[in-house]
Amino acid sequence: MSGAVQVQPQTSHRTYGGSGDEILRIEGLVKYFPIRAGLLRKQVGQIHAVDGVDLSVRAGETLGLVGESGCGKSTLGRTVLKLLEPTSGKIYFDGKEITGYSRRQMREVRRGMQIVFQDPYASLNPRMTVREIVAEPLKINGLYDRRDGRKRVEELLRTVGLSPEHANRFPHEFSGGQRQRIGIARALALNPRVVILDEPVSALDVSIRAQVINLLEALQRDLGLTYLFVAHDLSVVSHVSDRVAVMYLGKIVEIGTRQEIYERPTHPYPQALLSAVPIEDPTERGKRERIVLTGDVPSPANPPSGCRFRTRCWKAQEICAQEEPALIDRGHGHPSACHFAEPLAPLALGTNGLAPA
Amino acid sequence: MTEPAAHEPLLAIRDLTVEFGTEDGVVHAVTGVSYDVFPGETVGVVGESGSGKSVSVMSLLGLIPQPPGRITDGQATFEGRDLLKMGKKALRELRGGDVAMIFQDPMTSLNPVFTIGDQIGEAIQVHNPGVKDDEADQRVVDLLTLVGVPNPAQRVKQYPHEFSGGMRQRAMIAMAIANEPKLLIADEPTTALDVTIQAQIIEVLKAAQHETHAATILITHDLGLVAELCDRVVVMYGGRVVETGDVYTIFANPRHPYTVGLMDSLPKLVGEEEMLRPITGQPPSLINLPPGCAFHPRCFLSGGRMLCRTDVPPLRPLGDTAHLSACHFAEELQERHPERAAAGGHV
Repeated sequence: MSGAVQVQPQTSHRTYGGSGDEILRIEGLVKYFPIRAGLLRKQVGQIHAVDGVDLSVRAGETLGLVGESGCGKSTLGRTVLKLLEPTSGKIYFDGKEITGYSRRQMREVRRGMQIVFQDPYASLNPRMTVREIVAEPLKINGLYDRRDGRKRVEELLRTVGLSPEHANRFPHEFSGGQRQRIGIARALALNPRVVILDEPVSALDVSIRAQVINLLEALQRDLGLTYLFVAHDLSVVSHVSDRVAVMYLGKIVEIGTRQEIYERPTHPYPQALLSAVPIEDPTERGKRERIVLTGDVPSPANPPSGCRFRTRCWKAQEICAQEEPALIDRGHGHPSACHFAEPLAPLALGTNGLAPA
Repeated sequence: MTEPAAHEPLLAIRDLTVEFGTEDGVVHAVTGVSYDVFPGETVGVVGESGSGKSVSVMSLLGLIPQPPGRITDGQATFEGRDLLKMGKKALRELRGGDVAMIFQDPMTSLNPVFTIGDQIGEAIQVHNPGVKDDEADQRVVDLLTLVGVPNPAQRVKQYPHEFSGGMRQRAMIAMAIANEPKLLIADEPTTALDVTIQAQIIEVLKAAQHETHAATILITHDLGLVAELCDRVVVMYGGRVVETGDVYTIFANPRHPYTVGLMDSLPKLVGEEEMLRPITGQPPSLINLPPGCAFHPRCFLSGGRMLCRTDVPPLRPLGDTAHLSACHFAEELQERHPERAAAGGHV
């Protein structure tokens, strides 16, 4: 816990992160889903899943995107790859705007940007062998030839810690962790530069989860990959990320380096999130004051006016209902979307002295 | 909660063995499991998928399908009564009465076609036939108030789908404590919930324990939850108990390589981060368990020693303590956090 006195923008704890140029940029990204009802399926409302998000991802870094279910983090990941069509906003990959790209143009983009899904049971076709699954992206892009294709698939399997003999088996013959490795091999087949990891370890047991996290980190180091790491597990995101963005109800509420978000959060929502995580040390029991938020996340079909967090916030004032707080640096070195942004007392997180709700 | 444990266990499990017959062979879900739960204490049963942590508890209450499941050996006594010899009717009276359960997914245990109020009211009246409707209604409102459901008088008229995930879990806890159980079994009670809702439910669980003084078995894979809530810990692997002890000892001084491996696998929330040290390999097949110690193929301590491959290590006390480990070489493990050993130590 030496973080409280560090002032200078700290470089990553990992030497290979985040020094490159911008590779992915999104501006004002919005994704609404229609709510339909009645016999004629008339649109009666909209789910504001992602509601005006700006992000910039640098080559070689891991940007963690964290938030609770329904905050829009997965929708954001999928919209960036245009698996979902954005409602408005702009997406730039490698300097080119891809927002209006056709399906065929996107095929080219997806060579450079791939995705790994959460559920290793649902995301692999049970009727295809591992070889067919991993070779599929190569075939779709016309990069599979009989001689080198087989070798490439076997090399990919070795890269993710599976053995080439596994190539002829079917997904059901593998455990969850091994299936996730197959999904990673498939994502790497086209030598992408950016990989969107959508809850890649959430479905895995603790001991297997650590294996897959280490694999992802080793691949990043060896292949120079850029990760957009979408997850709800704060400890996992802390472990893998160079920078972290916290989402709530379709918006980013705070963004900064891992140290800034985990050691000096200034927005009440990340503060509450971090205080809520159970710590694996019984001697800390009762010493941390936990901020227990009241109530549930409001419906994304009808988000609150002004600041979306105000209905659960202990700091909320009149201005919070009237004026939406912009995501800007409010004097703490990194952007925070709170009118009353301020860090908690030093060392409050993890010990005591935290202002209760 | 930390209350002085009485000397007579409320629940005593001895040598419990549970198998499931499948097309591929016999699944050895639970093998020779023994542990006690004393009145008022909270015991965490920890393990990964397939470790037997849920089956070891659910089988006692007649909650595994038989067949394919069967209890082939062992005893389990609850307040001196042998659970395994009890008839279906007696077990049914016990469940929801002296023994109550909270499951991971409230939707599987709440009936979608009855209101929340009807369901909790029924739970009360089934076990207390003398209670009149209006008394039961009042008790339901009181219970929902206790677990923090806002506007309980209105919410009792709603159906489960009108409740959010966190509110459903509160309703289920209310139903579980409706008859002041002596034993509360919580199977992954917060796993499906978001962090901020999980924090709320932890507080509700604490309040429920405080209200009922029930002993609690918390079945979970989440070591953070165990550190937060439990007095004692039972660690399971491959259907057996591999380590047990009080929560401070287990976290400061784990004496089974699997427990150590689990702790090394966890990423830290804050502070300097090293590479994670995962447990290598895959969990064992419960049909073809490795001979000897089931953990030996993944063990960093075994070093290929013959004994690990031939002999199943007994769960044995270390010194004259209540700390038990099923590792032949438990004494070779280094103390992990000596500074935490004394309760109240700082890191």
